[in-house]
Amino acid sequence: MDYWKDFFRALLEQFRPKLELDNIGEDILHAIVPRNIGSIDVFGFNLIISDATIASWLVMAIILLVAIYLGHKPQRVPEKKRQQLGEALVDLLLKTCRSSNMTYEQAEQVIPYVGTIAFFITLTNLTSIFKIPPPAKNPAFPIALAVITILYVIVMSIKFVGLKGFWASLTYPSSALLPFKILDFFIKPVSLSLRLFGNVFGAYILMEFIYIVVPMILPGLLGLWFDIADGILQGIIFTYLSITYIGEVIESAHESKHHKEEQAKAKAKGKAKASV
Amino acid sequence: MDHGLIAIGAGLAIALAAFGAALGIGLASGKALEASARQPEIAGKIQAMLMTAIIFMEATAIYALVVSLLLIFAF
Repeated sequence: MDYWKDFFRALLEQFRPKLELDNIGEDILHAIVPRNIGSIDVFGFNLIISDATIASWLVMAIILLVAIYLGHKPQRVPEKKRQQLGEALVDLLLKTCRSSNMTYEQAEQVIPYVGTIAFFITLTNLTSIFKIPPPAKNPAFPIALAVITILYVIVMSIKFVGLKGFWASLTYPSSALLPFKILDFFIKPVSLSLRLFGNVFGAYILMEFIYIVVPMILPGLLGLWFDIADGILQGIIFTYLSITYIGEVIESAHESKHHKEEQAKAKAKGKAKASV
Repeated sequence: MDHGLIAIGAGLAIALAAFGAALGIGLASGKALEASARQPEIAGKIQAMLMTAIIFMEATAIYALVVSLLLIFAF
């Protein structure tokens, strides 16, 4: 028995320097830290250009080309396949907006921003297939997206239901819920950003680990879930949640209005009965 | 700092969070399947509600993953 133990130990010792398994932690740490390529001085601010910035510029160029190709010379009755594809994508977003208590005109105003972040987040998550570090692994990227999205949600919902409607949606069942609903508006960007950041960062760390340890077939199989499916799913989830947040404010504003109208009707009935 | 305790903390964080999230998602999916079998015509709405619930439950597990990674790489 001792012979086989020694044999396997000697075999492993012989293969260990070839596999370079000794410094996995340091290798992963080198891969995770964002690489800063340069910095620009603008108006006294020092803007850092990192690998996340360059990857998102690449994705922006791709989205611009795709958008120009899909929307070039639209016809009233679409005959070409590319216009039908564009219309199908916009229709998908329209259906999601309509099922979240938005009318057609309101959905038309919301779709440009929502469609942009859908494509942007999905495509930037997919750059990890080509061994370009996904921008969302840099914690600044999801945080910026979440803050801008929640500001957009607040501004658009005020535009749709007015300031009075917004205040009514905050105090709908009772005024005691006001601090909780205001806290909710601070928790939503935290939740959005941490969900995107956690998924992409965790998947990237795992894929780096697999590339170092088993570089042969396993990265391709695992990459099907961690790189592709998880990236697409997180982009869709971010979009769907931002649409739902707008729909929530609109729905509670409308319910509050109906509640007040029914209270007014009941009071009017009561007065009519009392006077008769 | 003591690296042994940090490692135990990181492992424990993700283990408990994964247990809670998987339990919650399993229960919700079971109830959704039951409701869908009772009334198959609203299966679409039930599926939409299930997806919304799963998103929030999954996010809680991902918060714990971020804490675990923070423990490993920053301490």
